[in-house]
Amino acid sequence: MPPARGLTCNGGRRARRRAANGRQPNLPPPSPPPRALPAHFRLCARSTSGAEPESARARGAGAERGERREGERAVTGMGEFKVHRVRFFNYVPSGIRCVAYNNQSNRLAVSRTDGTVEVYNLSANYFQEKFFPGHESRATEALCWAEGQRLFSAGLNGEIMEYDLQALNIKYAVDAFGGPIWSMAASPSGSQLLVGCEDGSVKLFQITPDKIQFERNFDRQKSRILSLSWHPSGTHIAAGSIDYISVFDVKSGSAVHKMIVDRQHMGVSKRKCIVWGVAFLSDGTVISVDSAGKVQFWDSATGTLVKSHLIANADVQSIAVAEQEDSFVVGTAEGTVFHFQLVPVTSNSSEKQWVRTKPFQHHTHDVRTVAHSPTALISGGTDTHLVIRPLMEKVEVKNYDAALRKITFPHRRLISCSKKRQLLLFQFAHHLELWRLGSTVATGKNGDTLPLSKNADHLLHLKTKGPENIICSCISPCGSWIAYSTVSRFFLYRLNYEHDNISLKRVSKMPPFLRCALQILFSEDSTKLFVASNQGALHIVQLSGGSFKHLHVFQPQSGTVEAMCLLAVSSDGNWLAASGTSAGVHVYNVKQLKLHCTVPAYNFPVTAMAIAPNTNNLVIAHSDQQVFEYSIPDKQYTDWSRTVQKQGFHHLWLQRDTPITHISFHPKRPMHILLHDAYMFCIIDKSLPLPNDKTLLYNPFPPTNESDVVRRRTAHAFKISKIYKPLLFMDLLDEGTLVAVERPLDDIIAQLPPPIKKKKFGT
Amino acid sequence: MVQLRPRASRAPASAEAMVDEGQPASEEEEAEHGLLLGQPSSGAAAEPLEEDEEGDDEFDDEAPEELTFASAQAEAREEERRVRETVRRDKTLLKEKRKRREELFIEQKKRKLLPDTILEKLTTASQTNVKKLPGKVKEVNLEKKNEDCEKGNESKKVKVQKVQSVSQNKSYLAVRLKDQDLKDSRQQAAQAFIHNSLYGPGTNRTTVNKFLSLANKRLPVKKAAVQFLNNAWGIQKKQNAKRFKRRWMVRKMKTKK
Repeated sequence: MPPARGLTCNGGRRARRRAANGRQPNLPPPSPPPRALPAHFRLCARSTSGAEPESARARGAGAERGERREGERAVTGMGEFKVHRVRFFNYVPSGIRCVAYNNQSNRLAVSRTDGTVEVYNLSANYFQEKFFPGHESRATEALCWAEGQRLFSAGLNGEIMEYDLQALNIKYAVDAFGGPIWSMAASPSGSQLLVGCEDGSVKLFQITPDKIQFERNFDRQKSRILSLSWHPSGTHIAAGSIDYISVFDVKSGSAVHKMIVDRQHMGVSKRKCIVWGVAFLSDGTVISVDSAGKVQFWDSATGTLVKSHLIANADVQSIAVAEQEDSFVVGTAEGTVFHFQLVPVTSNSSEKQWVRTKPFQHHTHDVRTVAHSPTALISGGTDTHLVIRPLMEKVEVKNYDAALRKITFPHRRLISCSKKRQLLLFQFAHHLELWRLGSTVATGKNGDTLPLSKNADHLLHLKTKGPENIICSCISPCGSWIAYSTVSRFFLYRLNYEHDNISLKRVSKMPPFLRCALQILFSEDSTKLFVASNQGALHIVQLSGGSFKHLHVFQPQSGTVEAMCLLAVSSDGNWLAASGTSAGVHVYNVKQLKLHCTVPAYNFPVTAMAIAPNTNNLVIAHSDQQVFEYSIPDKQYTDWSRTVQKQGFHHLWLQRDTPITHISFHPKRPMHILLHDAYMFCIIDKSLPLPNDKTLLYNPFPPTNESDVVRRRTAHAFKISKIYKPLLFMDLLDEGTLVAVERPLDDIIAQLPPPIKKKKFGT
Repeated sequence: MVQLRPRASRAPASAEAMVDEGQPASEEEEAEHGLLLGQPSSGAAAEPLEEDEEGDDEFDDEAPEELTFASAQAEAREEERRVRETVRRDKTLLKEKRKRREELFIEQKKRKLLPDTILEKLTTASQTNVKKLPGKVKEVNLEKKNEDCEKGNESKKVKVQKVQSVSQNKSYLAVRLKDQDLKDSRQQAAQAFIHNSLYGPGTNRTTVNKFLSLANKRLPVKKAAVQFLNNAWGIQKKQNAKRFKRRWMVRKMKTKK
């Protein structure tokens, strides 16, 4: 029995994310259970607010989906809040195009259709630790790791790019001069790179320590080379094209065999058969997957077909073979992922054959890429989910880690908030949107939906110049400055508000060292701007009126360049905390412009950081769901943090699968920490006792009819609420107001490209 | 040998005719030879015979028109020559016309291009200035360039040939657009191929709405489609209605007061 089944209703479970409140007023009541998950993962969502949607107004027409649901009153046991439920952030992630798994470091590189490349650390709880922003003209078609942790990608613009994983930028781009590049494969030794181009040529490149060097061309073929695979010994390669597969000899560069692929399984079809993937095994078998839905086994010594499996009605688009060559995985356009294994024919015999063992239906759209790690199957496709399915027989310890992981929502914050003016800044790939929250004058009981007296306002739609994606953006707390950064430029705008009108003025001549910033932050009084660049430097810029002045730059400590990922500034403006990818968190003294202290390094990356207003305690959340509190003036961990570490967190808290992306504080209650991840938000009350493993973690309301004693016994420090999910952002606007930005999964799916038609009986 | 047709004997003029007939006889032979050689002079050969016949009927009224074969041949040759000449003249005329047109086009093109002096400067400058680009960037007016230039300083400089202008008062950049166009068109063709093979005709695709509504259809209590309402229908009508309502309310308020 898979361990996942044992964990049911109590708190933080993954895959329970049902948009149980799909509250479009005009649509029929709540949506059906998950389409992609098998039955035993389904769960009825427990939601405390059973309020019926009443005056929720559908917003906008056409593309602008999402409604503005205002002011629910929520009681979390920590006081009453009015909650702005925001659903007009039209965030649609781009589909996954390629995935590459690196065995030595257990990292996964994922490239998306908009050109973004993300690197996930699979051992750090599947956290996205690095990313490279995308570019409009870059249509990546292939991604691969080479020897020495080097990452290469090739795309339809004809260039091979190498990524610098330390400085988080692109080292160089080499044009292959063969037209658009469709496929790329690194040799088993890792020192050579092979690319297949549009004009039918296969080019061999030598990987030198600092660049790649063109070596030679292989025999040119008639049509484009769509897939490549090396033989494990490096002597032969298989190249899949349209209607045929060629086997080349690497030394001579000539085609040894040309195997013609049937257009349809035992039939005639007019459409060309595109060989989407090939894999070369060490015994000389070539496995090919094509657009007719077949998986075929060929013998490369004779160039003949050995076995053919018809597994789908649509294309089979990807294939990945395990290192031991006893199993491989294929992904189809219908969203199904099949696992093939080499099984003995009978239980005693030594003869083995390839058998299709398991189908997995975790995707709704095309699965364009798959990867096979030693213990898991990884798949990604047009429906933007990254699904990691550990294989039960390969996993040693059958605990919670062996359950399905589905990464849908970003691991970084895309929204910033100006509390004074109640503005939200949404970051998209090529533009920014500024919204003002609506307001209400009504009051009500817990769980009520309050009618809006003033609707939310779309104030600004700011398009970026140029083809590059926006890396990060921020709005100042007073709402008069907006800053964002792309790879080549840094933009700073000044906003003026007069009587409901807004005017924008750009601050020109920004210094070039501010470009490619990974994180931008304004100080509380909006006089200083902190920019963390990818070179490891931290810049402080003084803002005044409509101009700026560069104050100081903190260079990285050691000689190595390390990109600074997260920043946090204290509300009195004295302290600035910056976290890198491997070193501990550095805390700088802003007034004296020097390094104050360094929080000891922890082996899991930091996912969120914040400095408490009065006590100046730095609260850090890591990707393994640990939360630390470090006192900056005392330069040591606080007592509360030590107690928590001694006791340990509740096991359900540690088993949440989405990282904490934002931490904030209550201005009047110094004992409260508000944090959230994609499926819950939690207020930690440091004055209450900590829960041990036996207590219930998720207890929304203690029942009122029970005595006070029972209430006090079951109350603990972690007040979790799962009313608003999936959450992209949650913050405290003022003492009695919260803002929660949700993004229902249905709204994302509704804007995806068309899937393959499925014929079901009875429809 | 040729079989000559029996001729009616001619009377007084026969003496002259005899002399002349001797010639036609030989000329007919020649004509026959001509026929053997393949000259298309059957008409020409037939003519003198016919005319002779006609001449035989009417020789009392007029002197017969002696149209010898040679003259007819000469006439025919003249005709041909005339035709050939006209054709040649036409051809030369056309050629001249075309030449003139081409010159006109070349001139127009020249007018479109930059003046020669600047082109010279550019070509000489390109040979020396490619390496000095990073330094000279700041001299040129940044506003004229787009992002490509700044990016180009770091990477991808090989293909795009950028040339600095030497003159102080003008600030522009010459870029070879041929390279960019070629790359873009190939990339677009590649993307069109992918789109066609995945979403083009022959693929079995359906809309997201239909796909998600399949589950609704199979439930024990059938439900409507996921995106049942089309919010984009009748936007203009709805806006007009809203405006009308607002105006009507205002009017009502006014009349009430």
